[in-house]
Amino acid sequence: MRFSLLFCFAAALLSAAPSLSILPKDVTLATAESRQQLLAEALLDGGVQADWTRTAAWTSSNPAVAAVSLSGLITPKSDGEAVITARKDNLSASVTVRVRNAAAPFTWSFKNHVMPVLTKTGCNQGACHGALAGKNGFKLTLRGYDPELDYDALTRQSASRRVNLAEPAHSLLLLKPTFAVPHMGGLRFKTDTLEYRVIAEWIAAGAPPPAEKDPEVTGLEVYPPAAILAPNATQQLIVRAKYSDGRTEDVTNWVKFTSANEGVATVDDSGLVKLTGHGESAITLWYASKVLYARVTVPFINQTPVISDFRPRNFIDNLAAAKWKSLNLTPSKLADDSTFLRRAYLDAAGILPTADEVETFLADADPNKRSKVIDQLLNRDEYADYWAYKFSDLLLVSSRKLRTPAMWAFYNWIRDSVQTNKPWDQFARDIFTGAGSTRQNGALNYFVLHKDTIEMAENVTQAFLGQRLTCARCHNHPMEKWTQRQYYQFANLFARVGIKNGNTAADNVVFAKTSGDINHPRLLRPLEPAPLDGLPMALDSTADRRVHFANWLTKDNDYFTRNIVNRVWANFLGRGLVHPYDDVRATNPASNEELFAAVSADFVKHGYDLKHLMRTIMNSATYQLSSEANATNQSDNVFYSKYVIKRLPAEVLLDAMSQVTGVPTAFPGYPAGTRAMQLPDVRVQSQFLTSFGRPERILCDAAERSSDPSISQALHVINGDTLNKKLADAQGNIALLLKLGLSDRKVLEHLYLTAYSRPPRPEEMAQLNKLLTEAKQSKQEGLEDLVWSLLTSKEFLFNY
Amino acid sequence: MFRLDADRPVEFCDGTRRRDFLHAGALSTLGLGLAQFAGLKAHGAVDPKKDVNCILLMLVGGPSQLDTWDMKPNAPIEIRGPYKSIKTNVPGIEISENFPRMAKHADKFSIVRSMYHTAAAVHDTGHQMMQTGRLFQGGVEHPHYGCVLGKLRGSKGDVPPNILLPRPIGATGGNMPHGHAAGYLGKAYDPFILNADPSDPNFRVPDMLPPDYLSSHRVDRRKNWREAIDKSVSKFETSQDARLLDSSFQQAYTLMSSAKARAAFELHREPEAVREKYGLNRFGQSCLLARRLVEAGVRFVTINMFETVFDEITWDIHGSKPFSPISCYKDLVGPMFDMAYSSLLEDLSQRGLLSNTMVIGTGEFGRTPKVNPAGGRDHWPQCWSMLAGGGPLKGGTIVGSSDEIGAMPKDRPTTPAEVAATIYKGLGIDLETELPGAQGRPIPVVDRGTEPIKELFV
Repeated sequence: MRFSLLFCFAAALLSAAPSLSILPKDVTLATAESRQQLLAEALLDGGVQADWTRTAAWTSSNPAVAAVSLSGLITPKSDGEAVITARKDNLSASVTVRVRNAAAPFTWSFKNHVMPVLTKTGCNQGACHGALAGKNGFKLTLRGYDPELDYDALTRQSASRRVNLAEPAHSLLLLKPTFAVPHMGGLRFKTDTLEYRVIAEWIAAGAPPPAEKDPEVTGLEVYPPAAILAPNATQQLIVRAKYSDGRTEDVTNWVKFTSANEGVATVDDSGLVKLTGHGESAITLWYASKVLYARVTVPFINQTPVISDFRPRNFIDNLAAAKWKSLNLTPSKLADDSTFLRRAYLDAAGILPTADEVETFLADADPNKRSKVIDQLLNRDEYADYWAYKFSDLLLVSSRKLRTPAMWAFYNWIRDSVQTNKPWDQFARDIFTGAGSTRQNGALNYFVLHKDTIEMAENVTQAFLGQRLTCARCHNHPMEKWTQRQYYQFANLFARVGIKNGNTAADNVVFAKTSGDINHPRLLRPLEPAPLDGLPMALDSTADRRVHFANWLTKDNDYFTRNIVNRVWANFLGRGLVHPYDDVRATNPASNEELFAAVSADFVKHGYDLKHLMRTIMNSATYQLSSEANATNQSDNVFYSKYVIKRLPAEVLLDAMSQVTGVPTAFPGYPAGTRAMQLPDVRVQSQFLTSFGRPERILCDAAERSSDPSISQALHVINGDTLNKKLADAQGNIALLLKLGLSDRKVLEHLYLTAYSRPPRPEEMAQLNKLLTEAKQSKQEGLEDLVWSLLTSKEFLFNY
Repeated sequence: MFRLDADRPVEFCDGTRRRDFLHAGALSTLGLGLAQFAGLKAHGAVDPKKDVNCILLMLVGGPSQLDTWDMKPNAPIEIRGPYKSIKTNVPGIEISENFPRMAKHADKFSIVRSMYHTAAAVHDTGHQMMQTGRLFQGGVEHPHYGCVLGKLRGSKGDVPPNILLPRPIGATGGNMPHGHAAGYLGKAYDPFILNADPSDPNFRVPDMLPPDYLSSHRVDRRKNWREAIDKSVSKFETSQDARLLDSSFQQAYTLMSSAKARAAFELHREPEAVREKYGLNRFGQSCLLARRLVEAGVRFVTINMFETVFDEITWDIHGSKPFSPISCYKDLVGPMFDMAYSSLLEDLSQRGLLSNTMVIGTGEFGRTPKVNPAGGRDHWPQCWSMLAGGGPLKGGTIVGSSDEIGAMPKDRPTTPAEVAATIYKGLGIDLETELPGAQGRPIPVVDRGTEPIKELFV
């Protein structure tokens, strides 16, 4: 017995002595107006944290340098150092605070102080003055994306009534939000608040404009960045901005907070988090177009510990297990051989194993047989069909905008790439750097599909970067880091793609033009083309912009890597590490970031090798877990402690029905025997595929494909022609089985192996025998009805 | 041969009759046991006396308030646009000349002229809010009114409680859910989606009946065998998706075995004159179908007037391609709505159904007061008009008003949340009712303190 390998995930988290610490640990108050809220974080039994900020006793070693309030807020008094201490229940912790420039004159900055006030109090939100048309004649840029424009609106328009330098208190900018005069937006802040003081003092100082030398926000820090907390606990978050002059400031007051999962945690405007359930949620933070998130975790409560025999098989398992441990989850058992085999066939190649393949696999005594079958699967033709189909979804291959020969050229290029296991970075580069005939180089049809620069920019970011840019088309993305400027710099990368007619009707020639730009709609001029957060090109450069883009896209680009890794992961595990799987934005954290980072790094290390990625996933014990829950993980559908049951995709399901009945579906215009998974086009008429959620390939959007059950699906399999005609076909397997004159027992065994990849259990055999006897008037009809029942049951419709 | 479409109860092989099946099945299909239902009744969440239905007309694209039901004849030409206003059968109420038939039924509906919302000016946000009362945030997808009603009341007769015609809203540019589904209530409460065009000459609900080559005996046998095979495997018991699959099969069987339910979908039973009166187009025939469905016991019908705003003539009159020109209000979209809406009101009224059927018509936002250089109008969530009548709602009233150019609500600004409260109150659902959200966290049907539009109630 290999006891040393046994993992125990029961609630036996280490009991260490409780401790207390203060966050953040390094504090410098750099100006007379700098403030810092401190947090007193206790680490309790079982690794659970608690926020003691409001209940601890706070003291300062030198109140003449830095004073601390009852709730842990420190304010500067004079230059020097002071030690701040928090005490509670015999525990204590201290930090040293440095105070600088306490006596130096201080002026509020428009960009770094006034704008954040306007943003936090909602003045420039979409519903108010941030609307495209402003409100009541007063317009600000949405969430303050253009300080110069806003400064102009405040100080120059409206006869300077908004900002009154002679009598600051008479400025509309103070009278309106304090409701001293009627304001449709109501009361935004009172006169005794910091908000009021910032604006009043800024006006009194002469309303200095935004300047080049104003420090820029370079990044954010959040405290605590991650916390394991008790159910129903509360936790204050503290956010600091880092500036280009090296300073950090507590900006918690001005941050917009959002919970990613309100079933686990909610957050209010002040950054106070309330835990409402079990599991994990990100709290996303937005400040000055910078984003970050904090992670809060509430472990599941398990009354009955479950001992697991989980044995890690590769690094995926170790990292998955670490997450289960922190959440108090025990993984399910390993799936049995039949279940594994069916799952592996469906996930890797979109087919069911044949009865022979099942029997061979079950009889194989080789302890490495699972790895062996994985290798075989990844080399099958059906593997290429399946992934060519998936990538055709991604690249929107269809006859909607492409003529049939062009569609085929595009599809064949994709399928060849899959078949030869072209590295993913090469795959992308080939699309974006090619030129010439679209018949000869099918990849170029991607440009024919996207003649519109805007559409191109948005679909490319979705397909290859997992980002949704659309919001930034009209203004800075309100909850993301992308600015409108970045959007048009990015779009301009695709403004010089030329397409002209080729030699034949369906042929086009794609070439790089040396002129042409897309204008920024507000600035009314083109911006230097630049990838997202990447190096810009000179506007007058005649180099192929697409090459610049492709180089950036495929080299050390986290978005690029994580996008494809997440898509492949979701194919196998039923849910992306980031969910939804096509939304890999900065504020949508992974359910297991360490795991996501490791799988992505491994993928890059192995040269963007898709088969290597799939092999690694499929060989992990995590992938091979049973879908049956134990006492601890019934409600887990996020952390992979059990396999997530999923319905077969429309095309796979139809092919599986064809396979079991031995009757392929005829698709008009395609050779007999073509499987649904081999179709290059989604416009091939099929009521079955439409009703079971085949995507239309119009927008690059995961939501285009649906696997939700519906009444129309049920009606179609009960009454529709698709399945019924397959069952009754004289050339089909049912007719064949009858002709062979096999015993009922043999027939049933064969059907179970084909449909469910397992032999029937004795009690099932007895039951089915009885059913068949009931139907003895017509053996053909009896068998048809039996196969119908097998093929519409959950065990067939689901991958488990 | 005994066919399932016979006009009498169907006997199932296991001895249950149609009625028994319905009692045992229909409520539990929806995850709602009889005991729970009784419990809800006892709690006052469901008031059986107030059995009101609702038809929600989603005017996808966003009608211009200034060219429909909130005319500004005295405003400058660039504001008032190309259309004149006409009188209606209610003194003091005027609407656009594009709706002459509607004008004869103004006593049957009211106009709320002070609708506004504060989310981003894209179609999708408005769809969410007008169908659920809320904007989707924090990963929470709120349920459509009809899904809530389905959950609280279950089905009436053999038809599903909540039906969506003809298809869900597709892409409208925002990549967001549109709010037609059950959201956090779970897919079991999603609407039955027709997915067919009722104006198609061969229109029928796809696969509602078994093919000729399948006897009812065999259909029945298959149903039982499938259940038996499923029962022998326990591993799917905890899967939500698997339970949903069961429920969709049960609902399919309920639908196909009820002649009455099937007949509700058979538009060809309507006299040709009636069909023509509604307009022989997708929206017109959907409205007629909605009336038949309500008669048959469907509680909530949502009709999407259009499925997208791209390359289709809709209310979305930006004035340039791929959107629509302002002239379509006179040439196509206006008349289409005018015929269908007025026929629906008239028909419901003549059949005595208007008194217990609310009819709400709304877009997802209004349009810019000033006509743009392309001769169209762009998105404008700051102000639009909503039509409401039937059931406990008054007709012949104007609620709220907009400023002199239709840019902002002047009196009684009204939010989507207040519309939600109005619909729930109209349906007889207590506004204090809480629904189970993620991890059982209770979520009230409307945020606490949200009031219905009381001016609309009789």
